[in-house]
Amino acid sequence: MADTLFRLRVTYGKTGRLRYLSHLEVARACERAIRRAGLEYAVTQGFNQRMKLAFCPALPVGTAGTVEVYDVWLKRFVAPDEVLGMLRATTPAGLTPVRAHYVGEREASVAAAMTLADYEVVIGHPDRGPGRLAEALGDVVMSGALEIEHKGARKVYDLATCLPEGARVSEEDGRSVVSLTVRMGAQGSLRPDALVREALRRSGMSDELMSVTRTGLRPEEARA
Amino acid sequence: MSDLWTQVEPLLAHVERPARYIDSEFGAVHRPEAAYRVALLYPDTYELGMANQAIAILYDRLNGLDGVAAERAYVPWKDMGDAMRAAGVPLFTLESVTAVRSCDLFGITMPYELTCTNICEALDLAGIALRAGDREETDPVVIGGGPCAFNPEPVADFFDAILVGEGEDAIVEIVAAHRAAKAAGLSRAAVLRTLAAVSGVYVPTLYEPADRKAPARPREGSGAPAQVVKRVVADLGSHRAPTCPVVPFMDVIHDRANVEVLRGCTRGCRFCQAGMIYRPVRERTSDDIVRDALEQLRCTGQEELSLTSLSTTDHSEISDVLRRLSTALRGRAVTVSLPSLRLDSFGVDMARLVSEGSRGGLTFAPEAGTQRLRDVINKNITEDDLLGTVRIAFEEGWRRLKLYFMIGLPTETDDDVRGIGELVSRVLAIAREVTPPAERGGIRIAVSVSTFVPKAHTPFQWEGQLTLQQVQDRQHVLRETMPRKGVDLHWHDSEISFLEGTLARGGRELSRVIERVWRAGGGFDAWTEVFGLSRWTGAFEAEGIDPVELASSPRAIDAALPWDHISSGVTKAYLAIERERALDGVVTPDCSFGDCTACGVCPSLGVDVVLAGESRG
Repeated sequence: MADTLFRLRVTYGKTGRLRYLSHLEVARACERAIRRAGLEYAVTQGFNQRMKLAFCPALPVGTAGTVEVYDVWLKRFVAPDEVLGMLRATTPAGLTPVRAHYVGEREASVAAAMTLADYEVVIGHPDRGPGRLAEALGDVVMSGALEIEHKGARKVYDLATCLPEGARVSEEDGRSVVSLTVRMGAQGSLRPDALVREALRRSGMSDELMSVTRTGLRPEEARA
Repeated sequence: MSDLWTQVEPLLAHVERPARYIDSEFGAVHRPEAAYRVALLYPDTYELGMANQAIAILYDRLNGLDGVAAERAYVPWKDMGDAMRAAGVPLFTLESVTAVRSCDLFGITMPYELTCTNICEALDLAGIALRAGDREETDPVVIGGGPCAFNPEPVADFFDAILVGEGEDAIVEIVAAHRAAKAAGLSRAAVLRTLAAVSGVYVPTLYEPADRKAPARPREGSGAPAQVVKRVVADLGSHRAPTCPVVPFMDVIHDRANVEVLRGCTRGCRFCQAGMIYRPVRERTSDDIVRDALEQLRCTGQEELSLTSLSTTDHSEISDVLRRLSTALRGRAVTVSLPSLRLDSFGVDMARLVSEGSRGGLTFAPEAGTQRLRDVINKNITEDDLLGTVRIAFEEGWRRLKLYFMIGLPTETDDDVRGIGELVSRVLAIAREVTPPAERGGIRIAVSVSTFVPKAHTPFQWEGQLTLQQVQDRQHVLRETMPRKGVDLHWHDSEISFLEGTLARGGRELSRVIERVWRAGGGFDAWTEVFGLSRWTGAFEAEGIDPVELASSPRAIDAALPWDHISSGVTKAYLAIERERALDGVVTPDCSFGDCTACGVCPSLGVDVVLAGESRG
């Protein structure tokens, strides 16, 4: 296709009740918001024409995100602030776009470039201190591997590969907040809530997981 | 009004598809200030209910009224239903997450006989007594509507009121009457008598149910009409299609923009209940259709548009509509879909107009395998029509075809069933003849065969349904005679069709059976993987009702029928004449293309056929 396309990168949140959406549901909702905004989007060629749209790695049902990203290819340049305003008006609250900017056509896809994801897992157990939880998380990581059963299939994660940085535990308003970074790979990525649940289980603490939020997506080389 | 979200949310981490319960979709209407509150329930899951156009129309209409809020409710899937009971969470509306029981009006659509156990489930989860007579003064008025309202008796005990016919105008009158009655401080019983005075509203507690000898009749002094006549909107031009319906997050069935192009069908297929109860034909103008379609696509962002009706390609200006839409939607990756097509070259022309060069599948409904049987059912098409259409379609590049047939139609023999296989063989032969050799491997004919179920208000309402064994025997004949290569054969579950037959023509005594099945764990009976006939046969036995007799014995022409007190406007005499003509193999033409056939609808309801163009061609 000879026409110039404009690759717009939109950062949005997946918050509130909408954290219960699946990745496909989020993708469909964003696509429809773009259509509603009246933007002139590019479509793929082929038997089933679709909007040209690419998303960052999927979030599980129930997990929130504050810096989720998609790229959409537009046929006409519209100033980023203007696009942002249009999309904010047509996107359901809970998936609201927070930033829009253009990126080069040669830039790697969000899914390929962003290999590290930061998470915050909030646990409500006022009777135990953060030290105990940090210790339990350390024990799980030291054990080297975590076996998880999901929908009948078992999968073993090598924790040294999956967790490039140590988990941190802090106390906020009587809740424990675990901050950790997960490396995403072609084989999928470790669910941070599974790691925290395992730590809670091993230490005999109650499983009062309150929320899981992806707070950052970044390329590996950008790590300090 | 109290928000139950804090009680609902903890359940969501443990159930399938939580998106069913979270509201927040684009287009959902929130009117917390409204004093009069309506819950609209589709008696199945969210992903089925969101496709229902009647609910979408009523939601739009009610939320346009001052002081009225209409909210959606669906039956939670079993995992959520169990979790709600365990946590003491009642059935709630999605928008405000309030208890359905706290609403003023609880509307339940009745789209299909087998959703009846889900009506019990919804009432019980809501904390509302199953039977109208056991309800408390403060409970909402439970009102039903939809196709099953035309024989409401099997579920009549579960409803305070049932609207027969089209709801656009009637719902406004019902709400007005209810609000006035409440404002006047009337008792529940007096409220129901007030509602019975609204045209088209049936209040079951005011009637003595029918038995074999006498039709249902109003109780003395009730003031209820002897016959409840369906409501009909004379001119669809007086209403707009919803311009911005709720856009689901979930992958729901028929997830697309829907614009109704016409209502009613007078082709006169004698098995078809919809063709009888939605008369007369009323087309919308092409300007209205195109305006509503483009507006709905703009507002919802949907990527597919469906032009819905019982016979879309019969619309007198359909080619104009499709040309205009095709021009307006070019390059926007929006597909336009048509329900099953007319079996002639015009049908293929219309499919070409919406296909933009791609060739998906085409759907046709010959219904029967032999000309004799097609004449019996008044399916006015010939084998030449079908084969000629198939030839054109494959010459034009289509390679996939879906054909709908029925077995068990009145007068059917094994030869008619074999006729289906033979007809499909001839279709295949033509498809191969006109398809280049290199592409013949791509030819696929999907053959879908349902079992005939006699329905109320049709010329076949007196006929017996095949027994389970007979259906299985004919399905065997079908399998034996159907070509295998290039054909995908699907048929309906014979047990589900059998049960549908008992419920479609049963009387009020069936409510006891339905309640018993629900109490034994029944629900979601329309789901093949959940359905279990044994629960039903056990309940029929316990209630001393023979389901085989109910479904399979022919009714005498002069016998009282459980739905005689409900009028679709089509006279019983016309249905009886049509039955005679069927048995004689005589066809009846379509009045929207030519002369009146005297079914009775237009004079009795004060309406007429409305065409957008000068004539249908």
